[in-house]
Amino acid sequence: MAAIAVHQFAQCITCHAWSPDHAMVAFCPNNNEVHIYKLIQEKWEKLHVLQKHDQIVSGIDWSVRSNRIVTVSHDRNSYVWNQEGSEWVPTLVILRLNRAALCVQWSPKENKFAVGSGAKTVCICYYEQENNWWVSKLIRKRHDSSVTSVAWHPNNVFLATTSTDGKCRVFSTFIKGVDIKEKKEGTSSDTKFGEQILQLDLSFSWAFGVKWSPSGNTLAYVGHNSMIYFVDDVGPSPLAQNVAFRDLPLRDVLFVSEKMVIGVGFDCNPMVFAADETGIWTFIKFLDERKTSSSGPKYGSQFSEAFGKLYGQSKYGVGNDAVESSRTRGGTHVNCINCIVPLREAGSSRITRFTTSGLDGKIVTWDLESQEDLLNYHL
Amino acid sequence: MAGAEGFVEADNAEAIIIRIEHKSRKIESLLKQGKPIEALKTALEGAPPKTQDERCKSANWIVVHRALMAIKDVDFMFSSLDPEYYDILMKGLSTGDRPTCDQCLRIHEKLTEKAGLGCILRCLADTVNTV
Repeated sequence: MAAIAVHQFAQCITCHAWSPDHAMVAFCPNNNEVHIYKLIQEKWEKLHVLQKHDQIVSGIDWSVRSNRIVTVSHDRNSYVWNQEGSEWVPTLVILRLNRAALCVQWSPKENKFAVGSGAKTVCICYYEQENNWWVSKLIRKRHDSSVTSVAWHPNNVFLATTSTDGKCRVFSTFIKGVDIKEKKEGTSSDTKFGEQILQLDLSFSWAFGVKWSPSGNTLAYVGHNSMIYFVDDVGPSPLAQNVAFRDLPLRDVLFVSEKMVIGVGFDCNPMVFAADETGIWTFIKFLDERKTSSSGPKYGSQFSEAFGKLYGQSKYGVGNDAVESSRTRGGTHVNCINCIVPLREAGSSRITRFTTSGLDGKIVTWDLESQEDLLNYHL
Repeated sequence: MAGAEGFVEADNAEAIIIRIEHKSRKIESLLKQGKPIEALKTALEGAPPKTQDERCKSANWIVVHRALMAIKDVDFMFSSLDPEYYDILMKGLSTGDRPTCDQCLRIHEKLTEKAGLGCILRCLADTVNTV
């Protein structure tokens, strides 16, 4: 079984993040608070409640080395929380937004963080030592609609964004005084803050969930039309692959290695995508093993009823017990998964475990070590 | 696909109707030769994208419908149809003003089984080929 731990924390979870030692988890239970739980002797105990936002907290990220939590909310604000003793002390970051903040991520060096918003802007925030506060610089250009997801390139300067205008863009977020200009890189002309390096126009519907591969060579993001896009050699001449798949759209992705991506979304079951030796990406399998009925379609009873009315045939009848309701098996997710977070082992670049949270209020831990058929891709 | 079609401006409604008539004749001849699957592929290809003109839309639908009705063995059709045609076929099925005839429903059911819900979603999200 790939799912090694399941816990129901709330009725619905918007986003979650893990502490650096994976002992504590912070999540938003679909309200204006952030709850931090710790596993103490096999039981999850609520340790802290961070209450500063006025509306739903849409993004949480917990930095690994500096142990800071950043939260963003629909109330257009962001707080950076520092642990002082047993308390978490918030620092307000004035983002200068006039619409909700939707997503946040710490940069690899943890000296900046990026916030995507419904105001068609991206905020890059950095700490100004002299004034002892966080400054927000806005990228106002280019986006035609809400920015749904942000992802940092390993070089701490490039930022990829996805938007509901269907496009994925890569910007430079070079800030004088914070970033060091790399003389050996040939991209000196692109290191102006807010310069768009690349725009990918692959999707005709909303784009979500962008992530970089560990080396920064490949980008992956999903479209709301049940497609996932892989872009290799991101730069002047990128190689794009559009992979269409059978099932419901995805909402977020995670690179577990250079050659393997896990996608999560409305099917409530993580999907594994991998690239073969020639670099072609395909769908491999669903991670959660379920008993699939060999006869008839694998849809839940809701779909059977709808199809029954459409086709007018009795074999899809409402009271049909033979139809396997594959969505409501106990244990793993029963509603849309909208957040996937890696559990990185210190000192290892491979990701073997990750967690997912969703609208059903569960956080599920998944382990890839037991999946022998995936070992080839998982290098 | 005949090269001459590429030179015709897509916005010109009359030109589109002429193109559809060409397609219709080609399909008739393919059906006479007993190649219903080839006929269906021809009908689905070259559908006019983003046409507001009702005549063009209904003319195209008549052609597609004709090819669909000619298919006797639905299962055989699917076994010989490339997966790349699934999305185009689903789109073709959802156009037109009589998509609920028996044959169409049968094909829709089998297609959903084969191609999954993602195929239906791609039709709904498609802003290039509006119906």
